[in-house]
Amino acid sequence: MAKKEALIILRDTVVFTVAFSVVGIVFNAVREKGIPLIATEAYEIYVPCPEPLGEVWPMAPDAAEVRDSRTILIDARSAEEYRDWHAPGAIHVLYDYLDPLPDEVLDRLSGEFARSGKARVVVYGDGEGKMGDTGYELGRELSGRGLRNVYVIEADVETFKRSLQP
Amino acid sequence: MKKLMLWSGHAWVALPVRFYLAYVFISACWHKILEPGLFAVDVATYQILPLSLINLAAITLPWVELGVGIMLIVGFRSRAAALMVAGMMVIFMTALGIALYNELDMSCGCFASSAAAAEDPISMMTMWRDAGWLALALYVVFFDRRSLGVDAWMQRVKEGKEKKNAS
Repeated sequence: MAKKEALIILRDTVVFTVAFSVVGIVFNAVREKGIPLIATEAYEIYVPCPEPLGEVWPMAPDAAEVRDSRTILIDARSAEEYRDWHAPGAIHVLYDYLDPLPDEVLDRLSGEFARSGKARVVVYGDGEGKMGDTGYELGRELSGRGLRNVYVIEADVETFKRSLQP
Repeated sequence: MKKLMLWSGHAWVALPVRFYLAYVFISACWHKILEPGLFAVDVATYQILPLSLINLAAITLPWVELGVGIMLIVGFRSRAAALMVAGMMVIFMTALGIALYNELDMSCGCFASSAAAAEDPISMMTMWRDAGWLALALYVVFFDRRSLGVDAWMQRVKEGKEKKNAS
């Protein structure tokens, strides 16, 4: 009896698995979003590297916090651009997406900033403070290493420069 | 042991277990049915199936999950449905085990596609979770001999007809 019962369960399992699979294949064949039954080109498998990226918050270029003595101001542009002009008191930390800073350097910097007793880190870069801007990307790297209150100037350098003039 | 197997209360204990497994599987299949292309990428990411089987698995698996979920809810061939759950759990756990062994940094793709759930990485916790579901499914397979639902209703109808014929 038990053997017969087990065989019935096994039979049902096979029958329903096949039946549901057929429903899936038919539904896929008639739907607009259907995919080919057999893939012909290899999938580009995206396995993201474990990048410790955190949140950065936007800050207006004329915000009072920018001039606050408890702010660490970072210029994430190239060395040349930094030499040409940089915000008063800004530290230069070069951020190059194609030549990223070593983990040890980022860890050391974020550790130093965290121990400095300052209230916040404000970064500006070569864009408008959005994704792709060196300041934004560096801010995310620092924030991802546990640094809190990391802000990015949400404006291009010219606007930032004007907002700092008296 | 036989006494334990034949205890009539199993049907009532198995009822919430069935509903829970059904909930798990129906919620798991939804995004896969809506976006078969994304799910195919998830399947490919495990790097286990050959290219020719990836789409077939991505197309059929969600429908088996949906069907199993419905069968468990209505109590139709519950033990077969639970065996299907157990089989799928074994397959998923094997795939997860291989992915973990190969140190793939990926999301499991169980409840949302990898692209949308990069913060849900696979880990030993995922294995333990699946092992829990496997245990629940096996409980239904072995102990839910008189499932509440359509099976019980069909059994009563059959018994009623037999009685009628006998008299």
